[in-house]
Amino acid sequence: MSVVVNGETYPLPEPRTLAALLLSLSPLAPFAVARNEELVPRGTYEECPIEPGDRIDIVHPTAGG
Amino acid sequence: MERRNIEDQLTLYGQSFTSRLLLGTARYDSPSLLSDAICAADPAMLTVSVRRQISASNDTGQSFWNLLRDTRRVILPNTAGCLTAREAVRTACMARELFQTNLVKLEVIGDEVNLQPDPFGLVDAATELVKLGFQVLPYCTEDWVLCRRLMDAGCEALMPWAAPIGTGQGPRNPRALRELRERVSQIPLIVDAGIGLPSHACQVMEWGFDGVLLNTAVSRSLHPVRMASAFAEAIKGGRNAFLAGPMIMQEKAVSSTPEIGRPFTSESSQSAHPQGRATGPV
Repeated sequence: MSVVVNGETYPLPEPRTLAALLLSLSPLAPFAVARNEELVPRGTYEECPIEPGDRIDIVHPTAGG
Repeated sequence: MERRNIEDQLTLYGQSFTSRLLLGTARYDSPSLLSDAICAADPAMLTVSVRRQISASNDTGQSFWNLLRDTRRVILPNTAGCLTAREAVRTACMARELFQTNLVKLEVIGDEVNLQPDPFGLVDAATELVKLGFQVLPYCTEDWVLCRRLMDAGCEALMPWAAPIGTGQGPRNPRALRELRERVSQIPLIVDAGIGLPSHACQVMEWGFDGVLLNTAVSRSLHPVRMASAFAEAIKGGRNAFLAGPMIMQEKAVSSTPEIGRPFTSESSQSAHPQGRATGPV
């Protein structure tokens, strides 16, 4: 039972929330998160459930033209 | 000649700027070079993007964030690389969350060879993003119908290309760009992509475009800081020329120095050329 974070497989967090997953991954701030391609607003990570097979994208600021 | 506004500021979605240069932040050799180029260019906005974390990269993450914050410039996130309207909308939502701005430079790419905008996806994405409260600046072509559809969708500024992204070719289709400027008088037009030289930027500003968005022309020049300064001056010069109202081109030479009173001539020879002759450069 796993989730896919930025294209890589990770074990499901416990409890099964986005907040728990982010706690284990510790991405450097600032970042924004999408679950199954839908933005998860900051401040709602605790309430965001994680299911097996979910696709999580974590993005950061980067240079752009 | 129409009276033109002397109090000259670029206004995009209610925000006013003294600078008419928008600068991209990509492809600089180092963060310090980017920072110095920003100082030299004095841009109204900086374009940025969102990506998954790339380790050991200079231009991503926290250090890049700190550099941006220190510039105190308005941030314009893009949806670079998106190939569908759906992808672009989702990327814009991520960018809004990250950068806390409703502004978005909307890119929906329709061809991976020349990075040409997808006009259909662009209109679909712009329509959706405007509904979601975004302030959309679409990267588009000079196609009049596309531009009209984007305005109908609620875009309050448009960003037609000069040439494909990163080519530096300068305006490929000057006549169409100028016709677009003549027809779109109610909202700002920023020329985005394909500018290679300060003379290209100056040229489009002379045509009455409201600003220029640049990246590669500065970042991949031999001396990006100097080039940033050159572009800033060129854009100001072009804008001033537009505001000054250029002379109307003439078919025939017209003497700029008075013919009357020219020495060593007889009365008869002066009267034989009543229209005057060119006596030297202006």
